[in-house]
Amino acid sequence: MPEVPETPGADGAVGNGAGHHPHPGAAVPLDAPQFQVAAKNPRRVEGVVAVAFVASFLALAAFGAAYWQAASSWVLGVTLGIALGAFGFALVAWGKYLMPQGPFEEPRPQMATTQAEKDEFVADFATRGKIAIERRGFLVKLMGAAGAVLGVVVAFPLIRSLGPRPNQVQSLYHTKWRKGAKLTSIEGRAVKVDDIEVGGIITVFPPDDLGGAFSQTVLIRVQQTGNIVTQPGRETWGPNGYLAFSKVCTHAGCPVGLYEELTEQLLCPCHQSLFQLSDGAMPVFGPAPRPLPQLPLYVDSKGYLRAQADYDEPIGPGFWYRGGANNEYAQ
Amino acid sequence: MIDSLYSWIDDRVALSRSGRHLLDKIFPDHWSFMIGEIALYSFIVLLLTGVFLTLYFVPSSTPVVYHGIYAPLRGQTVSEAYDSTINLSFSVRGGLLMRQMHHWAANIFVGAIVVHMLRVFFTGGFRRPREANWMLGTTLLILAIFNGFLGYSLPDDLISGTGIRIAFSIMESVPFVGTYLAYFLFGGSFPGTAIIPRFFILHVLILPLLIIGLLAGHLGMLVKHKHAQFPGKGARDDNVVGSPLWPTYAAKAGGFFFLTTGVTALLGALVQINPIWQYGQYYAYKVSYAVQPDWYMGWLDGALRVMPAWEINLPGHMIPNVFFPAVLLPGLTFNLIYAWPFIEAKLSGDTAEHHLLDRPRDKPVRTALGAAVFAFYFVLFGASATDVLANYLSVTLNVVLWSFRILCIVVPIVVFPVAYKICVELRETPGAGQRKRHNIIVRSADGGYSTIAADEYPGYVKAELEPVALEEVDLVSAMSADADPGPEGVYRIPRDYS
Amino acid sequence: MAAPAGVVLLALALAAVLYAPGQSRAVAGPTAGLRSASLVDATVPNGAAALVEGRTLFDENCASCHGTQAQGSALAPNLRGLGSATVDLWVSSGWMPLANPGVQPARKPSHFTTSQTLAIAHYVGSLAPGGLPIPTVDLKGSNPAEGFSVFALNCAPCHTITGAGDALSGGIVAPPLHGVTGTQIEEAVRTGPGNMPRFSTFTVSKKQLADVVDYVTHYVEHPDSPGGGLTLGGVGPVAEGFVGLFAGVGLCVLIALWIGDRNESDGDDGGHGHGHPGDDDGPGTESPEREVAHA
Repeated sequence: MPEVPETPGADGAVGNGAGHHPHPGAAVPLDAPQFQVAAKNPRRVEGVVAVAFVASFLALAAFGAAYWQAASSWVLGVTLGIALGAFGFALVAWGKYLMPQGPFEEPRPQMATTQAEKDEFVADFATRGKIAIERRGFLVKLMGAAGAVLGVVVAFPLIRSLGPRPNQVQSLYHTKWRKGAKLTSIEGRAVKVDDIEVGGIITVFPPDDLGGAFSQTVLIRVQQTGNIVTQPGRETWGPNGYLAFSKVCTHAGCPVGLYEELTEQLLCPCHQSLFQLSDGAMPVFGPAPRPLPQLPLYVDSKGYLRAQADYDEPIGPGFWYRGGANNEYAQ
Repeated sequence: MIDSLYSWIDDRVALSRSGRHLLDKIFPDHWSFMIGEIALYSFIVLLLTGVFLTLYFVPSSTPVVYHGIYAPLRGQTVSEAYDSTINLSFSVRGGLLMRQMHHWAANIFVGAIVVHMLRVFFTGGFRRPREANWMLGTTLLILAIFNGFLGYSLPDDLISGTGIRIAFSIMESVPFVGTYLAYFLFGGSFPGTAIIPRFFILHVLILPLLIIGLLAGHLGMLVKHKHAQFPGKGARDDNVVGSPLWPTYAAKAGGFFFLTTGVTALLGALVQINPIWQYGQYYAYKVSYAVQPDWYMGWLDGALRVMPAWEINLPGHMIPNVFFPAVLLPGLTFNLIYAWPFIEAKLSGDTAEHHLLDRPRDKPVRTALGAAVFAFYFVLFGASATDVLANYLSVTLNVVLWSFRILCIVVPIVVFPVAYKICVELRETPGAGQRKRHNIIVRSADGGYSTIAADEYPGYVKAELEPVALEEVDLVSAMSADADPGPEGVYRIPRDYS
Repeated sequence: MAAPAGVVLLALALAAVLYAPGQSRAVAGPTAGLRSASLVDATVPNGAAALVEGRTLFDENCASCHGTQAQGSALAPNLRGLGSATVDLWVSSGWMPLANPGVQPARKPSHFTTSQTLAIAHYVGSLAPGGLPIPTVDLKGSNPAEGFSVFALNCAPCHTITGAGDALSGGIVAPPLHGVTGTQIEEAVRTGPGNMPRFSTFTVSKKQLADVVDYVTHYVEHPDSPGGGLTLGGVGPVAEGFVGLFAGVGLCVLIALWIGDRNESDGDDGGHGHGHPGDDDGPGTESPEREVAHA
């Protein structure tokens, strides 16, 4: 019988009230079925395992060759996959069929500690601590205060240095559109009144903010002539059949790029909010809660389309300080 | 030589003292206990493939002109992040495979965590003493979801960039601190140039460290508590029945690692995922249709779509629409998940220690509730593809959306009683879920008919073996006894399969 | 006996594969081969004879809805002044003749040959001034990268960045771009069929439009190159999620079902404890003289 070191008491503590050991002192004969391998025909299983290892080896060699030859991705991946899979299969088959089938058991102590154990620990830990701070209450309070301030101060570089306060570097409430700004395509060409056909749509920006995430605007020619009035108070905003709206969806900020010409609606691709242009881009379907802000336009003497002013409300999705739609906002 | 090396090490760390005890550690063998391993192995694949990717990816928004081999991008201005990802995919040997394996592994990782969580839930594996482990696991799920989002946002492509824009809006929507949160994370307004480098360091360093740490805690608690098990086959509350760690379980688990890695490699080889070269560089004013986040965020996207257009307007302030489906809903969801062990203990009055698991049918209320809640989130996940479904089924978008709005309320209400009934029926039906056996009709001498169940296959004798206490036996001698080659081969098998 | 039958079967199978409708091919039907040559000048064939042929075809196929002078009716719009490009697009893509009034027409094999289509288009275009002529696609010096950029800004919001097409609101559909020809792309962009907006030369210049045609016909219509494996339809990550869950996690769970045990013994459910004869081969039943394993 080979020398086997004594096992330490197999965390022998059996907790309170748990079962005792199932077979005290029982002898287990060597040919007990638990020690036998699980396979009915181990020779056959060994053969299968051997084949799997060989397949893995060959696939790995194929992977190496494929890599050396800069083969395409799928060849590399399939050879690698077969190599890994065959290896794994062989290992599992070995473990499942060629090892003692068991089952085996070990005792499981209950996690709950006894009251006596708890009391002992608390006595040690808490009481030592209590004695340490006894009659030094003032020190404890000072420690607490210092600790609290330390915690707050440590957070500052970690959090506050991350970025500027909102509204400091870039306004939450205004875009870069100004009175007189020409509506300019991404290539930098200003739009003239005859450039867009009826049913046409183009993304425009102020000339000093091409590609701007917040000033992006869709310009749509809904009809050939005439002012379009979408809401009371907007009598001059839609000259020569043109309408311009903020391209930033008021729901979650995606660019609202889908224009349905016949229904005169803008659809946002992200969550399918639908805006009715003739009503001033009022949301008629989907989750968007507010209409797209409209950019007031005019046509200058040379025929260029220009903005009368910035949007009359903050564009895009809402935020805490925005207040309601068309609110009196800060600044 | 190995002996002397081992001796040298052991003299310094005293491995032998506790070693044998470790080798004898028993792991229950039920297949459903291996689902967590799928997650663990996927995580290892993520780490390995991820290291490869970090060698090539450049986490920078600096614009560069693309001069690589993919013609539709040549001469275009893209970010370095996008440029390096394209080069990784096309010009680095094995790069596309590693990228695709990494992304598939991420999908499998989160999927396995969810399935594992469902297993633990439906079998009551979160009960005392495992409540803390349940909470660790839930945190791991949240971290895995976040890390996945961060990871697929790194290439700065059109689809993931749109997702980042939505994330900015969601952060902004939090009352009081929302704009601060968004501006601090982005280093300013959207899009800025800080977000890609910050996402990168979060994705490759901070979150993986957190995940590894929590995973160590999760597995450590598992070692301390020992794995729970199903009753039967000698399993009781005060023992663990299964295979020993060495060599049996090591072989099975090790093999399983290679198999899951093999599956990931095959997926990475054969199925395209996230073809960013088709999507192009992200620009804030460009967008594509038919886009969703990766599946584990799909329920959030679906929630955003089905949410009605409500918003709360207060004097001078606003709680925007996206707050409810994208902040409140996940907040409630995860708080409910965290609190569930305590809720159930309160409702059922059961505060005892449990190491034996329930079969789901034995706890029909819990099972039905879990099924209904899961169905709710599954419907939301389906709702993330409203436009694709409308196109595929040739139904209007309006009909699809309204259907989902109704389904996400009706389906859970229907699932609950159906699941409950199924559980009750399974319990009452003897032999439910067992392998069916043929019935042999036998005629008695006086003409009466009766049936007897046939054997599963000829000669089969169902042997339910008693577990052997491993600390009492010498497995070495037991295994060596068989090693003497006999006339039939390596192992002598005296067994009774008459 | 078997061999000739086998050959016939093989030939039939090959024929079925070759001629089966496929997404990545040009519109099947009598114009299939001809359409791919539409990048060549589409000039008016044979002048007056073509107009006569066009008129005949129009009277036979279109006038019942559009009126004998293409002036429109309660059933169909006025085609006068729309130009030959519009008519060429709608007829060559199979949208006309209309299969199902009330829903947006879907692409189908064209009813007419190329020359017939051109004849009809030129005839209708000749009825009244206005509209665009059939464009000539010239890809000399075109830049697919610029086309990609323009496509992403103007086309992807409806047609998706992969050209897979998708459903807009209220039954409107942005059709998939697989199988479209360069001429059809140019016609659609300039004439804005149905709910599609109209893109003028200011928005998409002639050079940019050629770039877009280059990009769409070479890259959108052949998404498998450069690769990565089986594509999942280009409808976004949701398809990848299904594959990852069912193929990925599913396969791994199936493997786990093989590796692990199952709860199969009787007596586990609901208290119906059936014992099993002969199942106790456990230790302690053997005679004491046998070798035993001791810790």
